[in-house]
Amino acid sequence: MSGRIKRHTIIEVLEHWVMAVSGIVLLFTGLGCLPLFKRYYIAEIPGFAWTGDFNTVTTVHYTASIFFLMVVVFHIFYHGIRKEFGLLPKKGDVKNGIRVVLAMIGIGKEPPSDKYLPEQRIAYVGIGIIILFLTVTGVIKILKNLEWIVLSPICESVNTMVHTLTGFLFMIAFIVHVAIVLLFKSNWPLLKSMFTGWIDEDYARHRHSIWYEKVKGKPEDKGISEIEVKETCREGGDTCQQK
Amino acid sequence: MDITRRGFFLISTGLLSSLIIKENAHAVEGRYATLVDITRCDGCSSEQIPKCVEACREQNRKRFPEPKKPILPYWPRKTYEDWSDRRDKIDTLTPYNWIFVQKATIEGRDIFIPRRCMHCDNPPCVRGCPFGALTKRPQGNSVINEGLCFGGAKCRDVCPWHIPQRQAGVGIYLHMLPKYAGGGVMYKCDLCKDRIEKGEEPACVVACRQRLKDNAVFTFGERRDIYGLAKQRKKKEGLYLYGDIQNGGTSTLYLSKVPFEAINRALIEKKDRFKMPVDVKNKIQTTFNPIGKAVLSMGFMGMAGAIVGAIISKRVHKGGDEDVRKD
Repeated sequence: MSGRIKRHTIIEVLEHWVMAVSGIVLLFTGLGCLPLFKRYYIAEIPGFAWTGDFNTVTTVHYTASIFFLMVVVFHIFYHGIRKEFGLLPKKGDVKNGIRVVLAMIGIGKEPPSDKYLPEQRIAYVGIGIIILFLTVTGVIKILKNLEWIVLSPICESVNTMVHTLTGFLFMIAFIVHVAIVLLFKSNWPLLKSMFTGWIDEDYARHRHSIWYEKVKGKPEDKGISEIEVKETCREGGDTCQQK
Repeated sequence: MDITRRGFFLISTGLLSSLIIKENAHAVEGRYATLVDITRCDGCSSEQIPKCVEACREQNRKRFPEPKKPILPYWPRKTYEDWSDRRDKIDTLTPYNWIFVQKATIEGRDIFIPRRCMHCDNPPCVRGCPFGALTKRPQGNSVINEGLCFGGAKCRDVCPWHIPQRQAGVGIYLHMLPKYAGGGVMYKCDLCKDRIEKGEEPACVVACRQRLKDNAVFTFGERRDIYGLAKQRKKKEGLYLYGDIQNGGTSTLYLSKVPFEAINRALIEKKDRFKMPVDVKNKIQTTFNPIGKAVLSMGFMGMAGAIVGAIISKRVHKGGDEDVRKD
C-alpha cells in the first residue's frame, strides 16, 4: 500500500497537454510550411493530401497557434503572479542534472531532488527560451501579415529565419523530452502524474526526497500549500487507511 | 516587481519599435507601380526578340544561375529542375527569362501580354517563404535573395500566377544537405531593384518606350499616379483593368479592350503555363488574418484568465482549510 501525493494541479495538467497537443500540431504543420511533405510523399499517404496544400497547412498552423499562444501567455502570468518558480534552475543544477542523467543509464547514484529534478529545471528554461522566441516571432509574423506593423526587409527576413530555426530547436527539444520520459523507466511515474496530477508516495520518497520531506514534515508551509496529501484505498477494499 | 514589469514592457516596446520600418509611408502598397497597356502591345512582331524581354535579359545576365553539374535529383524523387540548357527560351518564364510576351487569340484576334511578377501588395511568396529569402521592398517590388533561397519553390506554389522559376544546382542548399533538402534558387523579376532604388525605371519600361515612344506599352511611376491614370483610361475608353484588386491589389496594372475573363479562358484552352484568373483572393487577407486576430485575442484572454485565476486561487489559499487535505 502506498499513499499518493498531488504533484500537479488540474490547471498545470491542462496547461501541459494543451501546449503538448497544439505544439505537436504546430511542429507537424510547421514542417508542412517548409516544402517537405510533397517531396517526401507524405501528401500521398491516404488522409494526408491536405499536407501538400500550403494554404490548408498554414490554416491549421494558425489555428493551433491560438491554443499555443493562449497557454504560453497563461503560463507566464498565472505562475508569475502566484510566484511559482520551482521550475527555474538553482545553483548546482548543471552538476546534479548530469548526475541524474547518468543515474538513468545506471552510472552512479541519483542525488536527492526537490519537486522537480535538476535536469527538468534546466530543460524547462531551455525549452522556455525556445518557445518564447517561437511565440514572439510568430506573433510578429501575424502582426506583419495583418499589416498592423511593417517590418523593414532585413527585419522581416531575420524574424522569419529565427522562427524557422527555433522551430527546429523546438522539434529537437520535443524529441529529447519525450525520449527521456519514455525510454527511462524511472521517469514513467512522472508521465502518469502528468495525466492524473498524482504521484506515488514511495516514488516521491525515493526520488524527490527533499520535496517529500517538505510535504510530510511541514504541510502548512506556504511553499507547498497547494500540495495535497491523500491516502489511497486498499485495492478492491471498501475502507481506506490513513497513511 | 512594478519596476521589473515596467522595464520589461519598455524593453519589449523598444525592441518592437526598432523592428518597425521608419519610412513606412509606402511600405504596404509600395511607392511605384507599372501600367501595362496591352491594347498597344504587338509582341514586337517586327523584332527578333521582344524589346522588353531583350532588355530584361541584358540587365540581369550577370545574375543568371550557373549550376554546378552534375545536378542531384530531389531525393527521394528522381527529378530536378534544370533550365541551363534552355537559356535561349524566351516564350515562357524561366530562371533565365524573367519576362515574356504571352499570346492569346480571342475571336480570331491576337492579343500580346507581357508577363512577369505582379509585385503584390501583400505577397504570399514573401509572407510564406520559410527562410525569409523573399522581401517586400518599400518601392513595391518583391525581391528574392539568391543567397538565402533554398529553392523549395513554395513561393511558386503560393503565387496565384506561379511566377517564380527554379534552377537546381545553385544556391545555399548545396552547402547543407543537397541530396535531402532544398532544390536550387528561385528566380523572377525584381522590377530592376537596383535601378528603381536609384530612381531609374526598370529596363523593360525603358526599352519599350525607346521603340514605341509615346505609345509605349509600359508606364512606370508613382503608384498613385499610375492607379489614377489606369482608372481614368478604363472609364474614358471603356477598357478592362486587371491587377488592382487581384490578390488584394498589386503594383502591376493591365489595361485591355477584351475582358480578362475571356483572356483567361483563351489561356486555359491553350493550356498555357501562366493564366490570368480574375477572381484571385489573397489567402493571407481572407483566411489567415481572421485566424491571426483570433490568435492575438486568445493571447489576451490567456493573460486575463491567468490574472483572474491567480487572484482567485490566492484568495482560496488564504481561506486555508483546502490547501492540505488528509482524508
